[in-house]
Amino acid sequence: MRRYWLCAFTLFASASWADLPSDPLGSPLWAYNIERYLGQEVTVVVDERVGLSVPDFAEDSTQVPLAVNLREFPHKVNKVVTWVDMNPVPHLFTANSTDGQLKLVSLNFRVQQASSVRAAVLDEQGVWHIDSGYVDAAGGGCTAPREVLSNSDWESEFGTLKSGLFSDRGNTRIKASLLHPMDSGMVGNVPAFFVGDVEVRNESSDNLLLTMTLAESAAENPMFVFEFEGGIPHLSIHMKDNNGYQFEGAIGEASP
Amino acid sequence: MSRLRSHHRNIAWLVAVLFWALAFSSGTGASGKSYSLEATPVAEGVWVVVGSTDNFSKANGGNILNTGFIETGEGVVVIDTGPSRRYGEEFRALIESHTSEPIVKVLITHHHPDHAFGSQAFEPNTLYMLDESASLLEQDGEAFSDNMYRMIGDWMRGTEVTVPMNRVQPGLLSLGNRQLRLIAMQGHTGADLVVLDETSGALFASDMVFFNRALTTPQTPGVALWRSEIRQLAQLPFSLVVPGHGPVIRDDRAFLQMIDYLTWLDDVLAGSAARGLSASEVIDTAIPERFSEVEGARYELVRTVSHLYADYEKRALNRH
Repeated sequence: MRRYWLCAFTLFASASWADLPSDPLGSPLWAYNIERYLGQEVTVVVDERVGLSVPDFAEDSTQVPLAVNLREFPHKVNKVVTWVDMNPVPHLFTANSTDGQLKLVSLNFRVQQASSVRAAVLDEQGVWHIDSGYVDAAGGGCTAPREVLSNSDWESEFGTLKSGLFSDRGNTRIKASLLHPMDSGMVGNVPAFFVGDVEVRNESSDNLLLTMTLAESAAENPMFVFEFEGGIPHLSIHMKDNNGYQFEGAIGEASP
Repeated sequence: MSRLRSHHRNIAWLVAVLFWALAFSSGTGASGKSYSLEATPVAEGVWVVVGSTDNFSKANGGNILNTGFIETGEGVVVIDTGPSRRYGEEFRALIESHTSEPIVKVLITHHHPDHAFGSQAFEPNTLYMLDESASLLEQDGEAFSDNMYRMIGDWMRGTEVTVPMNRVQPGLLSLGNRQLRLIAMQGHTGADLVVLDETSGALFASDMVFFNRALTTPQTPGVALWRSEIRQLAQLPFSLVVPGHGPVIRDDRAFLQMIDYLTWLDDVLAGSAARGLSASEVIDTAIPERFSEVEGARYELVRTVSHLYADYEKRALNRH
């Protein structure tokens, strides 16, 4: 009986979406996760210029690097959504580029088993551009105990924020690393404890450059890289976790 | 009721048959796989068994390393036991077909599975390892084993992690007509044994040296330390070098390639961190033309970035 329901569901999911392009990787979760994270009846195109980059295999299933390099992307970037199809909770992050000047976003993630990975970018006309990658993995990254527990002085190290400002071909790049367990709530007896919100501001104008929400696929000790178009001498980054801890730092010539 | 009973009896028979099948199939060679090992004489009384320079695969069964053995006149010294019980058993038979001397010492150079997982085939009281390597094998062995079953599958049948019961001390080991110099290093895993046969000049460098095969970094304490130890190895009075992976070589080219490659890796990681690159960008770094003969360079760069880049990144950032 359950099988019939599953078939009916699959038929429904594919029938409701006549103009969805076919998945270049043939994953059974293509339509389902697009609908889940981008919405129903959205316009989707497959577009390599989104520049998603993931390794072919996960050397460490708890720390897999991902970058979305938008330098070749010809449109304004309104929003970037990434997810890992086969993870228990696939969502990795949603980044809102408030002025459309985002050129690169990078964050490490966990992988529970070999999986396709997606980056979807919303342009100024409301079209979603999707690029895909595939990571082979021994897996278990989402339900592995955190590494920080094996480190006896983790409480004194907790919340350490390090950052750097870099310029590359006229663009401004910020890199920030936070020591945080990022417990997803999927490990037995370990409640969810993770950074959910990130903001980057232009310190001089106080303009918001980027807001980002993180989800369960984000790795322990996140390492963020953001690149924005043009020169920005002073930036600040601000993060908040679900227990109310806040982490912030000013970056640039003004930083102490 | 009687129907149920006969059902139970059938199950009992099925279980018995399964056990019987399992008991017979767990013997080695049951599936007809063979490593077809060959011993190449490289000096008087010194043999090397050369493996491929590929990654672990179900096609090669993990025969991707070099092992060796040395006749001393008072017994054979074996260097490393291979990736699986099956390899160990074939290796032992190969040794016994080349010499009538008994195997007296089996030196396991480090705790990585391709070097230490054939040990079951040898007498437990002949197995030796550095103290620190034995601790690492205790700690990591089961995880390595799981991964090996995943990568080479049936070749691993019957293989269990075997931690050598004896410890080896660095220094001179005189046995029969041989003088072996045992050297403890750290560059590859934190505890790496190198064996120089001073009598023939054969240097069993193990995984301190890779030649025409990209070096692997999962446990290295750092590429700078590794590079300084390669410089020490190059000073030894050797006549030939047996790398852990790659062809046997009779000059210092393997050392020069190691130093060049480690320097390049260090520069790539430090330079990328200074530019603020993400790990995803670093794994796409162009590999210089001069390393075109180094097998697996791209694959190992992806792994190395995963192992080492985060430390380089953190050093390039400022604390708030």
